[in-house]
Amino acid sequence: MNGILAIYRKEMIQYFRSPIAYFVVSVFLLGTGYFFLYNVFSTGIGTMNETFRNMGLLLITLIPLVTMRLFSGEYTGRTMELLTTLPLKTWEIVLGKYLGALTILLVMTMATGINLIPLYLFGNPETKTILSGYIGFILMGMACLAIGQFFSSLTQNQIVAALITIPVLLAFWFVGHLQAYQNSPGLRELFGYLSFSLHFSDFIRGLLRSEAVAFYLAVVAVALTLNTSYLQWRR
Amino acid sequence: MIKLESVTKRYGSRTIIHDVSFSVSKGEIVGFLGPNGAGKTTTMRMIAGATTPTSGRVTVAGLDMATHNHDAAQRLGYLPEHPPLYDVLDVTTYLRFVAKVKGVQRHAMQSELDRVIAACRLEAVVTREIYKLSKGYRQRVGLAQALLGKPDVLLLDEPTAGLDPGQIQETREVIRTFGEHAAVLLSTHILPEVTLICQRVAIINGGRLLAIDSPVGLQQASEQTNNVLIEASAEAGSLREELLGVQGVTAVTVTALPNDLVRAECQVEAQSGIEARIARVVAVRWSLHRLERQQPTLENVFLRYVNQTSQQREAA
Repeated sequence: MNGILAIYRKEMIQYFRSPIAYFVVSVFLLGTGYFFLYNVFSTGIGTMNETFRNMGLLLITLIPLVTMRLFSGEYTGRTMELLTTLPLKTWEIVLGKYLGALTILLVMTMATGINLIPLYLFGNPETKTILSGYIGFILMGMACLAIGQFFSSLTQNQIVAALITIPVLLAFWFVGHLQAYQNSPGLRELFGYLSFSLHFSDFIRGLLRSEAVAFYLAVVAVALTLNTSYLQWRR
Repeated sequence: MIKLESVTKRYGSRTIIHDVSFSVSKGEIVGFLGPNGAGKTTTMRMIAGATTPTSGRVTVAGLDMATHNHDAAQRLGYLPEHPPLYDVLDVTTYLRFVAKVKGVQRHAMQSELDRVIAACRLEAVVTREIYKLSKGYRQRVGLAQALLGKPDVLLLDEPTAGLDPGQIQETREVIRTFGEHAAVLLSTHILPEVTLICQRVAIINGGRLLAIDSPVGLQQASEQTNNVLIEASAEAGSLREELLGVQGVTAVTVTALPNDLVRAECQVEAQSGIEARIARVVAVRWSLHRLERQQPTLENVFLRYVNQTSQQREAA
Protein backbone atom coordinates (compact mmCIF):
# COMPACT_ATOMS: atom_id res chain seq x y z
CA MET A 1 0.00 0.00 0.00
CA ASN A 2 2.91 2.30 0.83
CA GLY A 3 4.23 1.80 -2.68
CA ILE A 4 0.91 2.71 -4.34
CA LEU A 5 0.63 5.84 -2.19
CA ALA A 6 4.21 6.90 -2.93
CA ILE A 7 3.70 6.44 -6.69
CA TYR A 8 0.33 8.24 -6.49
CA ARG A 9 1.85 11.24 -4.70
CA LYS A 10 4.73 11.42 -7.17
CA GLU A 11 2.27 11.30 -10.07
CA MET A 12 0.17 14.11 -8.62
CA ILE A 13 3.24 16.31 -8.13
CA GLN A 14 4.36 15.55 -11.68
CA TYR A 15 0.91 16.42 -13.10
CA PHE A 16 0.68 19.73 -11.32
CA ARG A 17 4.31 20.78 -11.80
CA SER A 18 4.00 20.43 -15.57
CA PRO A 19 1.49 22.34 -17.73
CA ILE A 20 -0.32 19.20 -18.92
CA ALA A 21 -2.92 18.93 -16.12
CA TYR A 22 -3.76 22.65 -16.27
CA PHE A 23 -4.01 22.49 -20.07
CA VAL A 24 -6.26 19.41 -20.13
CA VAL A 25 -8.57 20.66 -17.37
CA SER A 26 -8.81 24.14 -18.97
CA VAL A 27 -9.56 22.84 -22.47
CA PHE A 28 -12.10 20.41 -21.07
CA LEU A 29 -13.83 23.14 -19.05
CA LEU A 30 -13.89 25.56 -21.99
CA GLY A 31 -15.25 22.86 -24.30
CA THR A 32 -17.83 21.68 -21.79
CA GLY A 33 -18.86 25.27 -21.07
CA TYR A 34 -19.35 25.95 -24.76
CA PHE A 35 -21.42 22.80 -25.31
CA PHE A 36 -23.49 23.50 -22.19
CA LEU A 37 -24.27 27.06 -23.29
CA TYR A 38 -25.12 25.90 -26.79
CA ASN A 39 -27.28 22.99 -25.67
CA VAL A 40 -29.15 24.69 -22.84
CA PHE A 41 -29.46 28.36 -23.81
CA SER A 42 -29.87 27.90 -27.57
CA THR A 43 -32.45 25.14 -27.31
CA GLY A 44 -34.00 26.28 -24.05
CA ILE A 45 -34.11 22.70 -22.71
CA GLY A 46 -32.87 22.46 -19.13
CA THR A 47 -31.10 19.08 -19.18
CA MET A 48 -27.51 17.88 -19.25
CA ASN A 49 -28.25 15.01 -21.68
CA GLU A 50 -26.73 16.48 -24.83
CA THR A 51 -23.90 18.11 -22.86
CA PHE A 52 -22.96 14.73 -21.38
CA ARG A 53 -22.76 13.26 -24.87
CA ASN A 54 -20.44 16.08 -25.99
CA MET A 55 -18.42 15.72 -22.80
CA GLY A 56 -17.91 12.02 -23.60
CA LEU A 57 -16.44 12.72 -27.01
CA LEU A 58 -14.33 15.59 -25.69
CA LEU A 59 -13.03 13.31 -22.95
CA ILE A 60 -11.97 10.68 -25.49
CA THR A 61 -9.84 13.23 -27.34
CA LEU A 62 -8.26 14.62 -24.15
CA ILE A 63 -7.60 11.40 -22.20
CA PRO A 64 -4.54 10.49 -24.36
CA LEU A 65 -2.92 13.76 -23.22
CA VAL A 66 -3.29 12.63 -19.61
CA THR A 67 -2.11 9.06 -20.15
CA MET A 68 0.55 9.39 -22.85
CA ARG A 69 3.43 10.20 -20.48
CA LEU A 70 2.53 7.66 -17.79
CA PHE A 71 5.01 5.00 -18.90
CA SER A 72 6.53 6.51 -22.06
CA GLY A 73 7.83 9.35 -19.88
CA GLU A 74 9.39 6.84 -17.48
CA TYR A 75 11.14 5.08 -20.36
CA THR A 76 12.56 8.25 -21.94
CA GLY A 77 13.53 9.72 -18.57
CA ARG A 78 15.22 6.38 -17.74
CA THR A 79 13.30 6.37 -14.46
CA MET A 80 11.64 3.04 -15.22
CA GLU A 81 14.99 1.54 -14.16
CA LEU A 82 14.44 3.10 -10.74
CA LEU A 83 10.85 1.90 -10.40
CA THR A 84 11.72 -1.67 -11.40
CA THR A 85 14.62 -1.87 -8.94
CA LEU A 86 12.85 -0.29 -5.97
CA PRO A 87 10.84 -2.56 -3.64
CA LEU A 88 7.68 -2.06 -5.68
CA LYS A 89 5.47 -4.73 -7.18
CA THR A 90 4.57 -4.13 -10.81
CA TRP A 91 0.86 -3.90 -10.02
CA GLU A 92 1.62 -1.25 -7.39
CA ILE A 93 3.30 0.90 -10.05
CA VAL A 94 0.38 0.38 -12.44
CA LEU A 95 -2.27 1.08 -9.80
CA GLY A 96 -0.47 4.11 -8.32
CA LYS A 97 -0.22 5.69 -11.75
CA TYR A 98 -3.80 4.81 -12.59
CA LEU A 99 -5.10 6.41 -9.40
CA GLY A 100 -3.13 9.56 -10.22
CA ALA A 101 -4.72 9.78 -13.67
CA LEU A 102 -8.11 9.02 -12.14
CA THR A 103 -7.71 11.99 -9.83
CA ILE A 104 -7.22 14.26 -12.86
CA LEU A 105 -10.41 12.78 -14.34
CA LEU A 106 -12.27 13.50 -11.10
CA VAL A 107 -10.95 17.08 -11.03
CA MET A 108 -12.16 17.51 -14.63
CA THR A 109 -15.55 16.05 -13.72
CA MET A 110 -16.02 18.13 -10.59
CA ALA A 111 -15.03 21.30 -12.43
CA THR A 112 -17.96 20.83 -14.80
CA GLY A 113 -20.24 21.12 -11.75
CA ILE A 114 -20.15 24.88 -12.35
CA ASN A 115 -22.59 24.31 -15.23
CA LEU A 116 -25.13 22.96 -12.80
CA ILE A 117 -25.51 26.31 -11.01
CA PRO A 118 -27.44 28.09 -13.83
CA LEU A 119 -29.22 24.84 -14.59
CA TYR A 120 -30.66 24.65 -11.08
CA LEU A 121 -31.18 28.44 -10.86
CA PHE A 122 -33.15 28.80 -14.07
CA GLY A 123 -34.40 25.30 -14.82
CA ASN A 124 -35.85 22.24 -13.18
CA PRO A 125 -33.39 19.44 -13.94
CA GLU A 126 -33.75 15.84 -12.78
CA THR A 127 -31.05 15.30 -10.14
CA LYS A 128 -31.13 11.51 -10.47
CA THR A 129 -30.52 11.68 -14.23
CA ILE A 130 -27.66 14.11 -13.76
CA LEU A 131 -26.07 11.91 -11.09
CA SER A 132 -26.45 8.86 -13.30
CA GLY A 133 -24.85 10.78 -16.20
CA TYR A 134 -21.90 11.74 -14.04
CA ILE A 135 -21.46 8.13 -12.85
CA GLY A 136 -21.48 6.96 -16.46
CA PHE A 137 -19.04 9.70 -17.44
CA ILE A 138 -16.60 8.72 -14.68
CA LEU A 139 -16.90 5.01 -15.48
CA MET A 140 -16.26 5.63 -19.18
CA GLY A 141 -13.35 7.92 -18.27
CA MET A 142 -11.90 5.16 -16.09
CA ALA A 143 -12.03 2.73 -19.01
CA CYS A 144 -10.40 5.30 -21.34
CA LEU A 145 -7.63 5.99 -18.81
CA ALA A 146 -6.83 2.30 -18.40
CA ILE A 147 -6.62 1.83 -22.19
CA GLY A 148 -4.43 4.96 -22.58
CA GLN A 149 -2.16 3.85 -19.74
CA PHE A 150 -1.70 0.43 -21.34
CA PHE A 151 -0.72 1.95 -24.70
CA SER A 152 1.68 4.29 -22.95
CA SER A 153 3.55 1.25 -21.60
CA LEU A 154 4.07 -0.09 -25.14
CA THR A 155 6.20 2.74 -26.50
CA GLN A 156 8.94 5.13 -25.47
CA ASN A 157 7.42 7.90 -27.55
CA GLN A 158 4.65 9.88 -25.84
CA ILE A 159 3.26 11.18 -29.15
CA VAL A 160 3.04 7.64 -30.52
CA ALA A 161 1.29 6.54 -27.31
CA ALA A 162 -1.30 9.30 -27.79
CA LEU A 163 -1.65 8.58 -31.51
CA ILE A 164 -2.41 4.92 -30.81
CA THR A 165 -4.82 5.68 -27.95
CA ILE A 166 -7.01 8.21 -29.83
CA PRO A 167 -8.16 5.90 -32.68
CA VAL A 168 -8.67 2.98 -30.28
CA LEU A 169 -10.88 5.09 -28.01
CA LEU A 170 -12.73 6.54 -31.01
CA ALA A 171 -13.27 2.99 -32.26
CA PHE A 172 -14.81 2.05 -28.89
CA TRP A 173 -17.00 5.17 -29.09
CA PHE A 174 -18.23 4.65 -32.64
CA VAL A 175 -18.29 0.84 -32.84
CA GLY A 176 -22.03 0.88 -32.03
CA HIS A 177 -22.72 2.53 -35.41
CA LEU A 178 -21.60 -0.67 -37.13
CA GLN A 179 -24.72 -2.38 -35.80
CA ALA A 180 -26.73 -0.80 -38.62
CA TYR A 181 -24.57 -2.52 -41.25
CA GLN A 182 -24.74 -6.02 -39.76
CA ASN A 183 -27.25 -8.75 -40.52
CA SER A 184 -25.80 -11.19 -38.02
CA PRO A 185 -27.54 -10.73 -34.63
CA GLY A 186 -24.40 -11.99 -32.87
CA LEU A 187 -22.20 -9.29 -34.39
CA ARG A 188 -24.87 -6.64 -33.81
CA GLU A 189 -24.96 -7.61 -30.16
CA LEU A 190 -21.16 -7.64 -29.92
CA PHE A 191 -20.83 -4.16 -31.47
CA GLY A 192 -23.50 -2.87 -29.14
CA TYR A 193 -21.82 -4.46 -26.15
CA LEU A 194 -18.43 -2.99 -27.01
CA SER A 195 -19.77 0.50 -27.64
CA PHE A 196 -18.72 3.10 -25.09
CA SER A 197 -21.34 5.54 -26.38
CA LEU A 198 -24.28 3.12 -26.20
CA HIS A 199 -23.52 2.17 -22.59
CA PHE A 200 -22.97 5.84 -21.80
CA SER A 201 -26.36 6.71 -23.38
CA ASP A 202 -28.05 4.48 -20.81
CA PHE A 203 -26.45 6.44 -17.98
CA ILE A 204 -27.39 9.75 -19.63
CA ARG A 205 -31.01 8.63 -19.78
CA GLY A 206 -30.85 7.88 -16.06
CA LEU A 207 -30.48 4.10 -16.36
CA LEU A 208 -27.90 2.68 -13.98
CA ARG A 209 -27.53 -0.76 -15.58
CA SER A 210 -25.29 -3.23 -13.82
CA GLU A 211 -24.28 -4.65 -17.22
CA ALA A 212 -22.91 -1.26 -18.29
CA VAL A 213 -21.11 -0.76 -14.96
CA ALA A 214 -19.61 -4.25 -15.25
CA PHE A 215 -18.57 -3.56 -18.85
CA TYR A 216 -16.59 -0.42 -18.02
CA LEU A 217 -15.03 -2.04 -14.94
CA ALA A 218 -14.13 -5.11 -17.01
CA VAL A 219 -12.36 -2.88 -19.57
CA VAL A 220 -10.42 -1.26 -16.71
CA ALA A 221 -9.47 -4.66 -15.28
CA VAL A 222 -8.40 -6.11 -18.63
CA ALA A 223 -6.35 -3.03 -19.62
CA LEU A 224 -4.59 -2.80 -16.24
CA THR A 225 -3.88 -6.55 -16.23
CA LEU A 226 -2.42 -6.30 -19.73
CA ASN A 227 -0.42 -3.29 -18.56
CA THR A 228 1.01 -5.22 -15.58
CA SER A 229 1.71 -8.37 -17.59
CA TYR A 230 3.48 -6.42 -20.32
CA LEU A 231 5.73 -4.65 -17.81
CA GLN A 232 6.58 -7.97 -16.15
CA TRP A 233 7.31 -9.57 -19.52
CA ARG A 234 9.50 -6.60 -20.44
CA ARG A 235 11.92 -7.51 -17.59
CA MET B 1 25.98 -10.60 -0.24
CA ILE B 2 26.00 -10.62 -4.06
CA LYS B 3 26.32 -13.99 -5.76
CA LEU B 4 26.10 -14.83 -9.44
CA GLU B 5 26.08 -18.50 -10.42
CA SER B 6 26.53 -19.38 -14.10
CA VAL B 7 24.51 -16.38 -15.19
CA THR B 8 23.74 -16.09 -18.90
CA LYS B 9 21.66 -13.44 -20.63
CA ARG B 10 20.40 -13.74 -24.19
CA TYR B 11 18.40 -11.27 -26.28
CA GLY B 12 16.94 -13.40 -29.06
CA SER B 13 19.84 -15.33 -30.55
CA ARG B 14 22.44 -12.88 -29.21
CA THR B 15 24.20 -13.90 -26.01
CA ILE B 16 25.16 -10.80 -24.02
CA ILE B 17 26.45 -12.50 -20.85
CA HIS B 18 28.13 -15.92 -20.96
CA ASP B 19 28.10 -18.09 -17.87
CA VAL B 20 29.33 -15.45 -15.41
CA SER B 21 29.94 -16.43 -11.77
CA PHE B 22 31.37 -14.34 -8.97
CA SER B 23 30.47 -13.05 -5.54
CA VAL B 24 30.94 -9.93 -3.44
CA SER B 25 31.06 -10.19 0.35
CA LYS B 26 29.93 -7.75 3.02
CA GLY B 27 32.50 -5.03 3.63
CA GLU B 28 34.05 -5.51 0.22
CA ILE B 29 34.23 -3.10 -2.72
CA VAL B 30 34.68 -4.84 -6.06
CA GLY B 31 35.58 -2.86 -9.16
CA PHE B 32 33.90 -3.97 -12.36
CA LEU B 33 36.09 -3.23 -15.37
CA GLY B 34 35.43 -3.67 -19.03
CA PRO B 35 35.31 -1.71 -22.28
CA ASN B 36 32.03 -0.25 -23.54
CA GLY B 37 29.57 -2.99 -24.48
CA ALA B 38 31.41 -5.60 -22.39
CA GLY B 39 28.29 -6.50 -20.41
CA LYS B 40 28.91 -4.53 -17.20
CA THR B 41 25.59 -2.67 -17.26
CA THR B 42 23.58 -5.79 -18.19
CA THR B 43 25.22 -7.70 -15.32
CA MET B 44 24.43 -4.87 -12.91
CA ARG B 45 20.85 -4.65 -14.16
CA MET B 46 20.42 -8.37 -13.53
CA ILE B 47 21.76 -8.04 -9.99
CA ALA B 48 19.46 -5.04 -9.40
CA GLY B 49 16.45 -6.94 -10.72
CA ALA B 50 15.78 -4.59 -13.65
CA THR B 51 16.12 -7.57 -15.98
CA THR B 52 16.17 -11.31 -15.39
CA PRO B 53 18.90 -13.72 -16.48
CA THR B 54 18.07 -16.26 -19.21
CA SER B 55 19.73 -18.93 -17.10
CA GLY B 56 21.73 -19.09 -13.89
CA ARG B 57 21.02 -17.63 -10.49
CA VAL B 58 21.50 -14.22 -8.92
CA THR B 59 21.23 -13.89 -5.15
CA VAL B 60 21.32 -10.62 -3.23
CA ALA B 61 21.66 -10.74 0.56
CA GLY B 62 20.85 -14.45 0.38
CA LEU B 63 17.61 -13.83 -1.55
CA ASP B 64 17.08 -15.32 -4.99
CA MET B 65 16.28 -12.47 -7.40
CA ALA B 66 14.06 -14.79 -9.47
CA THR B 67 11.67 -15.44 -6.58
CA HIS B 68 12.31 -12.78 -3.91
CA ASN B 69 13.28 -9.69 -5.89
CA HIS B 70 10.82 -7.53 -3.95
CA ASP B 71 12.44 -8.41 -0.60
CA ALA B 72 15.93 -8.17 -2.08
CA ALA B 73 15.15 -4.71 -3.48
CA GLN B 74 14.65 -3.43 0.07
CA ARG B 75 18.27 -4.27 0.82
CA LEU B 76 19.69 -2.92 -2.40
CA GLY B 77 20.80 0.51 -3.61
CA TYR B 78 21.36 1.00 -7.32
CA LEU B 79 22.76 3.91 -9.27
CA PRO B 80 22.34 3.17 -12.98
CA GLU B 81 24.64 4.59 -15.65
CA HIS B 82 22.19 7.46 -16.23
CA PRO B 83 20.88 8.70 -12.88
CA PRO B 84 17.13 7.97 -12.80
CA LEU B 85 15.75 11.40 -11.86
CA TYR B 86 12.37 13.09 -12.19
CA ASP B 87 13.23 16.49 -13.60
CA VAL B 88 10.14 18.34 -12.37
CA LEU B 89 10.60 17.23 -8.76
CA ASP B 90 12.85 19.10 -6.37
CA VAL B 91 15.71 17.20 -4.75
CA THR B 92 14.01 16.71 -1.36
CA THR B 93 10.70 15.57 -2.88
CA TYR B 94 12.55 13.10 -5.09
CA LEU B 95 14.60 11.66 -2.21
CA ARG B 96 11.51 11.52 0.01
CA PHE B 97 9.69 9.52 -2.70
CA VAL B 98 12.52 6.98 -2.95
CA ALA B 99 12.87 6.76 0.84
CA LYS B 100 9.16 6.15 1.23
CA VAL B 101 9.19 3.35 -1.33
CA LYS B 102 12.24 1.85 0.38
CA GLY B 103 10.22 1.68 3.58
CA VAL B 104 11.89 4.45 5.60
CA GLN B 105 9.49 5.19 8.48
CA ARG B 106 7.94 8.63 8.85
CA HIS B 107 9.75 9.36 12.18
CA ALA B 108 13.14 8.43 10.70
CA MET B 109 12.54 10.15 7.35
CA GLN B 110 14.13 13.54 8.05
CA SER B 111 17.27 12.12 9.65
CA GLU B 112 17.68 9.67 6.77
CA LEU B 113 17.31 12.47 4.20
CA ASP B 114 19.76 14.63 6.15
CA ARG B 115 22.25 11.74 6.23
CA VAL B 116 22.35 11.18 2.46
CA ILE B 117 22.16 14.91 1.69
CA ALA B 118 25.20 15.49 3.89
CA ALA B 119 27.06 12.45 2.53
CA CYS B 120 26.56 13.56 -1.07
CA ARG B 121 27.03 17.29 -0.31
CA LEU B 122 23.62 18.29 -1.63
CA GLU B 123 22.81 20.91 1.04
CA ALA B 124 22.98 23.78 -1.46
CA VAL B 125 20.41 22.31 -3.85
CA VAL B 126 17.84 20.55 -1.67
CA THR B 127 14.98 22.84 -2.72
CA ARG B 128 15.99 23.13 -6.35
CA GLU B 129 14.14 21.33 -9.17
CA ILE B 130 16.26 18.55 -10.62
CA TYR B 131 16.13 19.88 -14.20
CA LYS B 132 18.01 22.98 -12.99
CA LEU B 133 20.95 20.96 -11.61
CA SER B 134 24.39 20.58 -13.19
CA LYS B 135 25.56 17.14 -14.36
CA GLY B 136 27.69 16.71 -11.25
CA TYR B 137 24.80 17.45 -8.90
CA ARG B 138 22.48 15.16 -10.87
CA GLN B 139 25.00 12.36 -10.44
CA ARG B 140 25.19 13.04 -6.71
CA VAL B 141 21.38 13.06 -6.34
CA GLY B 142 21.43 9.67 -8.10
CA LEU B 143 24.02 8.43 -5.61
CA ALA B 144 22.02 9.83 -2.70
CA GLN B 145 18.90 7.87 -3.71
CA ALA B 146 21.01 4.69 -3.90
CA LEU B 147 22.30 5.27 -0.34
CA LEU B 148 18.81 5.78 1.12
CA GLY B 149 17.63 3.11 3.55
CA LYS B 150 21.22 1.99 4.32
CA PRO B 151 21.21 -0.89 1.83
CA ASP B 152 23.36 -4.01 2.38
CA VAL B 153 24.24 -4.11 -1.30
CA LEU B 154 25.23 -1.12 -3.40
CA LEU B 155 25.50 -1.25 -7.18
CA LEU B 156 27.12 1.78 -8.75
CA ASP B 157 27.39 2.09 -12.51
CA GLU B 158 30.08 4.71 -13.18
CA PRO B 159 29.30 6.81 -10.10
CA THR B 160 32.00 9.42 -10.71
CA ALA B 161 31.16 10.11 -14.38
CA GLY B 162 30.61 13.83 -14.95
CA LEU B 163 32.07 14.93 -11.61
CA ASP B 164 34.93 17.42 -11.19
CA PRO B 165 38.15 16.22 -9.48
CA GLY B 166 37.06 17.53 -6.07
CA GLN B 167 33.67 15.87 -6.31
CA ILE B 168 35.29 12.62 -7.51
CA GLN B 169 37.44 12.53 -4.39
CA GLU B 170 34.45 13.22 -2.13
CA THR B 171 32.35 10.57 -3.87
CA ARG B 172 35.12 8.00 -3.53
CA GLU B 173 35.27 8.76 0.18
CA VAL B 174 31.49 8.25 0.47
CA ILE B 175 31.76 4.90 -1.32
CA ARG B 176 34.75 3.84 0.76
CA THR B 177 32.95 4.67 4.02
CA PHE B 178 29.76 2.98 2.88
CA GLY B 179 31.71 -0.05 1.67
CA GLU B 180 32.91 -0.80 5.20
CA HIS B 181 29.46 -2.16 6.07
CA ALA B 182 28.02 -3.17 2.69
CA ALA B 183 28.87 -5.14 -0.43
CA VAL B 184 29.67 -2.68 -3.22
CA LEU B 185 29.99 -3.47 -6.90
CA LEU B 186 31.39 -0.49 -8.75
CA SER B 187 31.64 -0.21 -12.49
CA THR B 188 34.09 2.35 -13.81
CA HIS B 189 36.38 3.29 -16.65
CA ILE B 190 38.79 5.08 -14.33
CA LEU B 191 41.44 2.51 -13.46
CA PRO B 192 43.20 4.48 -10.70
CA GLU B 193 39.81 4.65 -8.97
CA VAL B 194 39.76 0.87 -8.78
CA THR B 195 43.26 0.72 -7.33
CA LEU B 196 42.33 3.39 -4.79
CA ILE B 197 39.08 2.03 -3.38
CA CYS B 198 38.50 -1.55 -4.49
CA GLN B 199 39.65 -4.67 -2.68
CA ARG B 200 39.07 -6.80 -5.79
CA VAL B 201 38.70 -6.23 -9.50
CA ALA B 202 36.52 -8.17 -11.94
CA ILE B 203 37.44 -7.82 -15.61
CA ILE B 204 34.72 -8.53 -18.15
CA ASN B 205 34.77 -8.42 -21.94
CA GLY B 206 32.45 -9.78 -24.59
CA GLY B 207 30.07 -10.85 -21.81
CA ARG B 208 32.68 -13.18 -20.26
CA LEU B 209 34.32 -12.76 -16.88
CA LEU B 210 38.05 -12.86 -17.63
CA ALA B 211 39.57 -12.43 -14.20
CA ILE B 212 38.68 -11.53 -10.65
CA ASP B 213 41.36 -10.81 -8.07
CA SER B 214 42.87 -8.01 -6.01
CA PRO B 215 44.58 -5.27 -8.07
CA VAL B 216 47.95 -6.43 -6.71
CA GLY B 217 47.10 -10.07 -7.44
CA LEU B 218 46.26 -9.24 -11.03
CA GLN B 219 49.50 -7.33 -11.42
CA GLN B 220 51.54 -10.14 -9.89
CA ALA B 221 49.82 -12.75 -12.03
CA SER B 222 51.11 -11.03 -15.11
CA GLU B 223 54.61 -10.40 -13.80
CA GLN B 224 56.13 -12.95 -16.17
CA THR B 225 55.51 -10.40 -18.88
CA ASN B 226 57.59 -7.82 -16.98
CA ASN B 227 60.22 -5.93 -18.80
CA VAL B 228 63.57 -4.58 -17.66
CA LEU B 229 64.68 -1.61 -19.67
CA ILE B 230 68.32 -0.63 -19.89
CA GLU B 231 70.30 2.03 -21.75
CA ALA B 232 74.04 1.72 -22.11
CA SER B 233 76.95 2.92 -24.31
CA ALA B 234 77.46 -0.41 -26.00
CA GLU B 235 77.53 -2.23 -29.28
CA ALA B 236 74.04 -3.56 -30.01
CA GLY B 237 74.90 -7.14 -31.02
CA SER B 238 77.29 -7.82 -28.13
CA LEU B 239 74.90 -6.29 -25.59
CA ARG B 240 72.09 -8.50 -26.81
CA GLU B 241 74.26 -11.63 -26.54
CA GLU B 242 75.44 -10.75 -23.04
CA LEU B 243 71.88 -10.06 -21.87
CA LEU B 244 70.51 -13.30 -23.28
CA GLY B 245 73.18 -15.07 -21.24
CA VAL B 246 71.77 -13.72 -17.97
CA GLN B 247 69.67 -16.25 -16.08
CA GLY B 248 65.97 -15.31 -16.19
CA VAL B 249 66.15 -13.17 -19.35
CA THR B 250 63.94 -14.75 -22.00
CA ALA B 251 64.09 -12.25 -24.86
CA VAL B 252 65.88 -9.03 -25.72
CA THR B 253 64.95 -6.29 -28.19
CA VAL B 254 67.70 -3.78 -28.93
CA THR B 255 67.30 -0.32 -30.46
CA ALA B 256 70.01 2.19 -31.30
CA LEU B 257 69.73 5.66 -29.73
CA PRO B 258 71.66 8.87 -30.55
CA ASN B 259 75.08 9.51 -28.95
CA ASP B 260 76.18 5.85 -29.33
CA LEU B 261 73.60 4.74 -26.82
CA VAL B 262 71.68 1.48 -27.11
CA ARG B 263 68.34 0.67 -25.51
CA ALA B 264 67.59 -2.94 -24.68
CA GLU B 265 64.19 -4.19 -23.56
CA CYS B 266 64.60 -7.49 -21.74
CA GLN B 267 61.65 -9.77 -21.13
CA VAL B 268 62.32 -11.41 -17.81
CA GLU B 269 60.83 -14.14 -15.67
CA ALA B 270 59.21 -13.27 -12.35
CA GLN B 271 62.09 -13.47 -9.88
CA SER B 272 63.78 -11.07 -7.58
CA GLY B 273 67.30 -9.80 -8.05
CA ILE B 274 67.32 -10.02 -11.81
CA GLU B 275 67.92 -6.28 -12.19
CA ALA B 276 71.11 -6.61 -10.14
CA ARG B 277 72.40 -9.49 -12.31
CA ILE B 278 71.70 -7.53 -15.50
CA ALA B 279 73.41 -4.43 -14.06
CA ARG B 280 76.51 -6.44 -13.10
CA VAL B 281 76.82 -8.01 -16.56
CA VAL B 282 76.44 -4.69 -18.38
CA ALA B 283 78.59 -2.62 -16.04
CA VAL B 284 81.57 -4.98 -16.43
CA ARG B 285 82.01 -4.08 -20.12
CA TRP B 286 80.07 -0.86 -20.75
CA SER B 287 78.84 2.28 -19.11
CA LEU B 288 75.25 1.79 -17.84
CA HIS B 289 73.05 4.91 -18.15
CA ARG B 290 69.64 3.65 -17.15
CA LEU B 291 68.04 0.53 -15.67
CA GLU B 292 64.35 0.32 -14.92
CA ARG B 293 62.00 -2.50 -14.07
CA GLN B 294 58.68 -1.88 -15.76
CA GLN B 295 55.92 -3.08 -13.41
CA PRO B 296 52.65 -3.84 -15.20
CA THR B 297 50.07 -1.21 -14.30
CA LEU B 298 46.44 -2.23 -13.78
CA GLU B 299 45.80 -0.51 -17.09
CA ASN B 300 48.31 -2.83 -18.82
CA VAL B 301 46.80 -5.87 -17.14
CA PHE B 302 43.30 -4.76 -18.16
CA LEU B 303 44.34 -4.08 -21.75
CA ARG B 304 46.15 -7.41 -21.98
CA TYR B 305 43.02 -9.32 -20.90
CA VAL B 306 40.77 -7.31 -23.16
CA ASN B 307 43.07 -7.58 -26.19
CA GLN B 308 43.53 -11.32 -25.63
CA THR B 309 39.79 -11.97 -25.73
CA SER B 310 39.33 -9.68 -28.73
CA GLN B 311 42.02 -11.62 -30.61
CA GLN B 312 40.52 -14.96 -29.59
CA ARG B 313 37.11 -13.82 -30.81
CA GLU B 314 38.53 -12.65 -34.12
CA ALA B 315 40.38 -15.97 -34.55
CA ALA B 316 37.19 -17.89 -33.79
